Amino acid sequence: MTIPMHDIVITGFSTITAAGAGLEPILELIRSGRDALTPVPAEHGSGRWGKALGFKATDHIPPLKTRKLDRCSQFAVAATGLALKDAGITRDTLPAERIGIALGCGFGGVANSAEFLTGYFADGADGASPMLFPNTVSNASASNASIEYGLKGPNVTQVQRFCSTESALMMACRFIAEGRADIMVTGGVDDLTPLMLSGFAATGQLRRYAEHFGEGCGLLVLESAEHAAKRGATVKGRIDDIRTVGLLLPGREPEGIDHLLGGCGIPDVISLSGTARVVPEFEERIHGIPSLDTGCVTGHSLAMGGVAMAVLLASLLPGQFGLHLAASPEGPYFAIRFSGGASVQP
Amino acid sequence: MSRRRVVITGLGVFCGAGATVPEFTSSLLDGRSGIAPLDLFDVSAFPSHIGCQVKGYDPQAHFDRNTVRKLSRADQFATIAAREALKDSSVTGQYSPYDIGVSMGAGAAGMFQAEQWLKAEHSGQKASPDLLRGILPDSTTTVLARTFGLAGYQGTVTTACSSSATAIGWGADLVATGRQKAVLVGGSDALSLLTFAGFNSLKVVDPAPCSPFSLGRQGLSLGEGAACMVLEAEEDAVARGAKIYGAVLGYALAGEAHHMTAPEPSGVTAARVMREALQLAGAEPARVGWVNAHGTGTPLNDVVESNAMKLVFGDHVANVPLISTKAMTGHCLGAAGVIEALATVIALNHRVIPQTLNFRGRDPECELDYCHNGSRPSECDMAMSNSFAFGGNITSLVLAR
Repeated sequence: MTIPMHDIVITGFSTITAAGAGLEPILELIRSGRDALTPVPAEHGSGRWGKALGFKATDHIPPLKTRKLDRCSQFAVAATGLALKDAGITRDTLPAERIGIALGCGFGGVANSAEFLTGYFADGADGASPMLFPNTVSNASASNASIEYGLKGPNVTQVQRFCSTESALMMACRFIAEGRADIMVTGGVDDLTPLMLSGFAATGQLRRYAEHFGEGCGLLVLESAEHAAKRGATVKGRIDDIRTVGLLLPGREPEGIDHLLGGCGIPDVISLSGTARVVPEFEERIHGIPSLDTGCVTGHSLAMGGVAMAVLLASLLPGQFGLHLAASPEGPYFAIRFSGGASVQP
Repeated sequence: MSRRRVVITGLGVFCGAGATVPEFTSSLLDGRSGIAPLDLFDVSAFPSHIGCQVKGYDPQAHFDRNTVRKLSRADQFATIAAREALKDSSVTGQYSPYDIGVSMGAGAAGMFQAEQWLKAEHSGQKASPDLLRGILPDSTTTVLARTFGLAGYQGTVTTACSSSATAIGWGADLVATGRQKAVLVGGSDALSLLTFAGFNSLKVVDPAPCSPFSLGRQGLSLGEGAACMVLEAEEDAVARGAKIYGAVLGYALAGEAHHMTAPEPSGVTAARVMREALQLAGAEPARVGWVNAHGTGTPLNDVVESNAMKLVFGDHVANVPLISTKAMTGHCLGAAGVIEALATVIALNHRVIPQTLNFRGRDPECELDYCHNGSRPSECDMAMSNSFAFGGNITSLVLAR
């Protein structure tokens, strides 16, 4: 499935990861060949993870509000504020109904669900906390961000394996193309807890796809080129094309790959997200092309594609072609084409 | 990009109010509720002991033992409903599998099994890791795509109780713009301790069967189940001689940006979403025969939704009944949007406006026509279906026969 994009540009970014807040710490780690992964505390397991240990929610959100938010929502609220600021959007300067949010969120609500149930298992109905329950839903992050910044446009959360962010980005682009919104905040957010590591260990995923998992948030601010030009925003890149298939059918893989990559040309830089690095059909296509895999630097997760796309865009020279590939072990697969650089003309 | 009219060519359902489309239709037309005492887990600690459970469910009547082990209760429900919808539409094989997508909405998903793993983990017991297989809400979409070999778009909307309504609108958009030839849309959710204890902790569960828009209502009744629809472009469906049940004319969605659990009291955002859905459907409000409400039966929701109706329909509101099928199905959370859309399409086809069951008395704050006294015949060909959710997420669908 192909979605050609004609005039959707990126005017803001934000990332919060194990490397810290902002893109520069990640870019510096990539340049120096290092990573931000730290040892998992012995009481929780072994190996390394991309825990955002330096993240302090109260640096970004008033303390009283911070207390009401689960960690995933804290990431999303903080990163939304940073992304809007980066895009030069301040509250009440644009119609709230025309600004929306579409986030991918893989594990949102899991931590609060576990805490809520733990209270119930320990103390029965009296232990079931009404304070915890509202943030057990997967859309808590996007909705809390919309409440904090008064975003009243389209509001959606998507989860689809390692491509949760890309699924959300596709909806965000469509909402702008359809005229449902002028501006969409989009990207992905995930948190990581010791209990999740226990779950990964129990299901054998720690030895497979969940090794070196991380947490954080990566967001892009999208708008039409016309809208960006009208408000004098700096254009940081452009989305040229989004393609996706759900499965690569046995025996019909070339057809699926053609849906994704047919005629897309040779990119200058490739970003790999989810399990894209180990998809055999991708390997021959990306051989010899400079590639970025931010998951190896700050940790993988289901909705870390926003971090990967922000880093890709920041790495592209003006006019360069960047290709973001995302994949999941059971599908889906995404190929998203970007044009990079601040000099991109709307 | 030109838009194509999107039609519904397959229906499937598996929920507490009916295990097949004919059963569900019979419940809808006869005004028969599936809300009854629960026995899925121990509810003795709560004020409410009822819900709309899929009673007497035997997984092995539908799946082999290995599949039962691998699929969560919610994923099993979804597979049963999808199988009925796909068979009904005969769409499989009509198009390349890469041109058929899956767009589902989800809520608590496989939490019913996952919470058993958590309980065992806390008590130091060994539990099967299979209990965690369906914990994430995208599991249902993955299972359906793989089970039925649908290799096109895969996505799962997770906006709590509006999830599957949005999944329908989004799936329809993929077809309308020609990006997919067909999309299997729907949603699935199973009862769980998390949601049962959670809504009870918020004190919004009625000890008696929920009575939307009635005086003295105390809240919702929870339910579970799945429903699916097959969406295709009208020209393709007609060309292949498919049975057409109706059309998804448009949808709209927004966030209220107000509060995580309380709706904005005036209903102004809900009204904006309904108006935008009608506008995108190219329909005047006067064409809407009735509205299938979110209608949970909580004191606040029902007043807000009634307010939104007045804002949308103005002086005409008395002619547009606002009904709730949740008194029949319970609130099926992630599956609520599609189960209600299904009920709407079935009612349009049978030319009736369904009854809102369990009337307890007229609430002065709910002063519209809610069809409390019984279903009624209607020749209208268009209705809306509303879904509201935690986080202030609102989705409205415009459906036609």
